[in-house]
Amino acid sequence: MEAIGGLLTGFSVILTPTNLYLCMLGSLIGTLIGVLPGVGPLAALALLLPVTFALAPVSGLVMLASIFYGAMYGGSTTSVLLNIPGEAASVVTCLDGHQMARQGRAGAALGIAAIGSFIAGTLSVAAMTLFAPALAAIAIRFGPPENFGLMVLGLVCTLYMISGSTLKGVLMIAVGFLLAAVGIDVVNGQERFTFGFINLTGGVELLAVVIGLFGVAEILSNVEEIAKNTVLATRIRGLWPTLADWRASWRPILRGSGLGFFLGLVPGGGPVTASFISYAVEKRISRHPERFGKGAIEGVAGPEAANNSAVAGSMIPVLSLGIPGNPVTALLLGALVIQGIQPGPLFMVQRPDLFWGVIASMYLGNVFLLLLNLPLVGLWVQLLRVPYRVLFPIVLLLCVVGTYSANKNAFDLWVMLGFGVAGYVLRKLEYDLAPFLIAFVLAPLVEQSLRQSLVMSPDGALILLQRPATVLMLAASAVLVILMVHRNRKAQGGNR
Amino acid sequence: MFERAVNVFWIALGVATAAYSYTIGLIGVSGPESGLFPFIAALIVTGAGIALFGSARSRAAAPVYPRGAALGRVLGVVGGLAFMAVGIPWLGFAVAGGITMMILLRTVEHARWWESVALSVASVAVVSWLFGHVLGMALPRGPWGW
Repeated sequence: MEAIGGLLTGFSVILTPTNLYLCMLGSLIGTLIGVLPGVGPLAALALLLPVTFALAPVSGLVMLASIFYGAMYGGSTTSVLLNIPGEAASVVTCLDGHQMARQGRAGAALGIAAIGSFIAGTLSVAAMTLFAPALAAIAIRFGPPENFGLMVLGLVCTLYMISGSTLKGVLMIAVGFLLAAVGIDVVNGQERFTFGFINLTGGVELLAVVIGLFGVAEILSNVEEIAKNTVLATRIRGLWPTLADWRASWRPILRGSGLGFFLGLVPGGGPVTASFISYAVEKRISRHPERFGKGAIEGVAGPEAANNSAVAGSMIPVLSLGIPGNPVTALLLGALVIQGIQPGPLFMVQRPDLFWGVIASMYLGNVFLLLLNLPLVGLWVQLLRVPYRVLFPIVLLLCVVGTYSANKNAFDLWVMLGFGVAGYVLRKLEYDLAPFLIAFVLAPLVEQSLRQSLVMSPDGALILLQRPATVLMLAASAVLVILMVHRNRKAQGGNR
Repeated sequence: MFERAVNVFWIALGVATAAYSYTIGLIGVSGPESGLFPFIAALIVTGAGIALFGSARSRAAAPVYPRGAALGRVLGVVGGLAFMAVGIPWLGFAVAGGITMMILLRTVEHARWWESVALSVASVAVVSWLFGHVLGMALPRGPWGW
């Protein structure tokens, strides 16, 4: 009942010309970003973040959220037509989507991806409507020790899900914490790691870090090898799936929706993991697994549904607990903090307009995306003809504008460049940068919770073992660490 | 070799920040001080750096570093951004962006002169119009007012 009342509040907030326009614009920009290879949703969100500072918080958040799920929609177009994923969550769509395009069924692949995404997106937002308030109601009882335990669990979950070396992930988290410590300590006003340099007193600018690590580094990786785009189809026909396509796809769409939603909830999960796991599940339970990789429509329907569903799932921990599970939601959290809003258990009570407004906008955004995606597919095809070598200097200009406009300070451009080069090098060395960004955004909250917890009790750090919920979360973190060690040892044994 | 140097950097970073955090103060009479949290993070950086230095298994499989033309393109982008960082406060966004873009198109993309000029002018005009006019963001201006 509370959810329905809240949702009505949300629709009353969102159904204004400005918010509707921004939701539609964000969906369009998101789709465009998803379509264009080499521009990920994270970099795009960072580039457009300064634009939202001039907007009301709800309008800004609606626009940013719509870019996020719009990018998930758009990514499939590039995967199907070019065999190049528009963004990471569409990698698996290349496998069968592109094969379908080679067989002259690009329209069916794009159609089922769009319709599947719409169904999954709507179902997951409905689940979010019910689930997010319940989670916030539990978390509202949390004090600093519980918050600390929750954030530790979130970071350990992120480590568990990352690709590559866990040790490198741990290091990235610690470096994220260190970098966030630069500037003035909000508790006692003491300067840390500024070395008298005035540009560092306000801390390291989040936008410069994100645009550098995920925008500039991406460009540097891409310019190494500039490939020529070969679009398979010039005219897309038959977007509406046939009855046989529906028969084959409805179960994968529903499974993908459920799987994506729950994987989105888990820190470190999100759209990328959801799409890969959905593909693996569909292949495993299929009666004809040999068809996968050769143009099976289930291999498009399931992962595309999963990556869209995961968007709504991943919004829940941010809005209900204030804990981001992936870099994009970390940036959304950062955007709210910049606006002076701290998402968390009290967010729903203190800012129902924002909380429910975002949820309501996601219902509408899914409809906008379906309406935009199918009729505009011809336009996206034409856009794919723009070669990357022409595109990247424009993206670089956008990176500069996005970074500079946050503080009007050229120093941030140097920070962006430094992190761009660092991100490029660290990618080469197989460091996963997601834990770094999540830790960088979460660090002030982790530090505050830890310090408040230590002050709260005469027993010092033992307070973390005196609160049942904290003990439970730290124990779960310990179990995950043990599982990671076990997994690594097993992998080590397998390599011998 | 390069990765080992990076690991040494992590160890040095961890030790230096731990030492600096210690000087800020870890625990005071009123509880934790400003240095405690970065000190813990620095210890983790040091520990992870040492572990990575000693662990062959955690090393990147076979990182491919750019050479020749690819290296030129990467350095071209880095140089272009550095020029923008230096030039923007003096020249404004439009001129600094236009020059950078033209250089990138000529050196990285090997576009023809007229293509480079046309694309640079058009891109800068569109970005300036979109961000400066439509979205109302104050882009840096040069001494000539734009």
